[in-house]
Amino acid sequence: MLLGNSSFFSSEPVQTALIVGTCAALVSAVIGVFTILRGNAFAGHALADVSSAGGAASFLLGINPLLGFLGMAWIAAFGMEFLGVRKVRERDLATGIVLGAGLGLSALFLYLDVTTTSTTGAAVSVMFGSMFAIPQSLIGPALVASAGVLLLVGLLYRPMMLTAVEPDLAAARGISLRWIGLLQLLALGLAVAVCALAIGAVLATALLIGPAGAAIRLSRRPAQAICWAIAIGLTAVWGGIWMAYESYYWFSGNAWPVSFFVVTLVFLFYLAAVLVAKVAGLSARPKSVIWPHCEV
Amino acid sequence: MWTALPPLVVLCAGLGMAPVAAAATIHAVGIENQYANVIGQIGGEYVTVTAIESNPNTDPHTFEASPAVAREIAAAQIVVRNGVGYDSWAEKILAADHSAQRKVIVVQDLLHLPKSTQNPHLWYKPETMPAVAKAVAQSLTELDPAHAAYFTANVRKFDASLKPWYQAIASFKAQFGGTPVAVTEPVADYLLQAAGCDIKTPWKLQAAIMNGTDPAPQDVSIQDQLIKQHQVKVFLYNQQVTSALTASFLGKAKAANIPVVGFYESMPTGYSYQSWMLAEVHALSNAVKHGTSTTVLK
Repeated sequence: MLLGNSSFFSSEPVQTALIVGTCAALVSAVIGVFTILRGNAFAGHALADVSSAGGAASFLLGINPLLGFLGMAWIAAFGMEFLGVRKVRERDLATGIVLGAGLGLSALFLYLDVTTTSTTGAAVSVMFGSMFAIPQSLIGPALVASAGVLLLVGLLYRPMMLTAVEPDLAAARGISLRWIGLLQLLALGLAVAVCALAIGAVLATALLIGPAGAAIRLSRRPAQAICWAIAIGLTAVWGGIWMAYESYYWFSGNAWPVSFFVVTLVFLFYLAAVLVAKVAGLSARPKSVIWPHCEV
Repeated sequence: MWTALPPLVVLCAGLGMAPVAAAATIHAVGIENQYANVIGQIGGEYVTVTAIESNPNTDPHTFEASPAVAREIAAAQIVVRNGVGYDSWAEKILAADHSAQRKVIVVQDLLHLPKSTQNPHLWYKPETMPAVAKAVAQSLTELDPAHAAYFTANVRKFDASLKPWYQAIASFKAQFGGTPVAVTEPVADYLLQAAGCDIKTPWKLQAAIMNGTDPAPQDVSIQDQLIKQHQVKVFLYNQQVTSALTASFLGKAKAANIPVVGFYESMPTGYSYQSWMLAEVHALSNAVKHGTSTTVLK
């Protein structure tokens, strides 16, 4: 009997965590693969960090934190797209600077949260998440945001994938790189918001690029990578929630944070994937070398 | 000319609005406004009091000191602070600015409480303020021996003024001792214990909410059950320590028609320490007796 306690599934905080966590794992797996293929892992991380300013501001404005995360993630995403830096080195620099400014805003909003409102624990829940304290009223918005991501990717799968893997070929076939890029950013912002709600803005990266990164090492085709990423993401999230629940009994009532377990599992899966890929001879080469002219 | 001044008890908002200290008065700081209030009652016209943490709409656990606050504390001759890690920022400021003349009263030490004390809300303990009043009078007397008799008389007056509160606690205990209650965090636990209430909420959940850390789902479920199955007669929440989780408990208590009492962590505007404490006990007994909710003290 793996789930030692029958009240696990009947616990309301666990149910909410499982639903929101599953949303986060699904959307981050799908979006994560595209993000890594486009070489945007650092931008994805920056977006997640910057979204913390929106999460912090939501306490001040009294709005739904998911909207806060989303608003800031979109502002940052379109900001980076607008800067439109071409060279990778310059892009990392611009991204890093936007990231710093965004976290500065978070520092200000979190300061205003504690000095002007009765909000408690905003810093922890915005930065590191608190899955068992997510109000039930956020389940609906999280489901809608996730459905939006899956719908966007479902409708635009082929052009998105071709743009990510073979941008020149995509352009030659008449695909508007600009439009696909914008829609992808829209979806990325939604995914970031759901992940930030689940495990916090700073840790959202772990879900966003961890399972997808591990999956790409294990896969020969993009669709396969997405399936692997979903499997790894779901296992990490569900396993993390279960371990956090059980840790209550391990440490005599002092349960450890659920985000810690989720992120640790993601890391272990990545390590395992690197090892498996080495043994199986799937080396870590650039995507164009891994998947040359693959069936998209 | 200075004698024409009104009693120099100034409670300012903790934003460094330094009161102009008259030469004759002793400048005192109460880190928490409830302590500042007691200093004012004991020192009367011979003391100028500033309260640092006095905003009843913010969480004092997360207070961030500004340079203006540090200057205020550095200029004080008497400082009263709570201790038990509640105002460790003030401890740091005091340690950084040694002054042999300054008298620092740490309430935790007055009550001989260990560092490991889990509930820092000492001013909700009925025995706390008489000890604070006595210590304040002693420090004032050392700084201003000429008015020793005045300070001693004020201590007696203060102790006598606590009687209605003690009586309210005793009569609640006699009538409703053992009443099961749920709380969000431990702000009023000492008072509830003195009044004989049975606090059903797991301590670990109270601590998680107070400290803003991850709550255990098991503890959240216990609290949900307490409310949904009417295992508690009153739901008490801290007005100044709120989160999505406390809001969800509050919503469930209202849905279950369990009377709700909002407790304050800092002394609300328009109250003295005594009238505040008495109002909180009245709100509690109204909830148990008549099922009335009191969310805001007026």
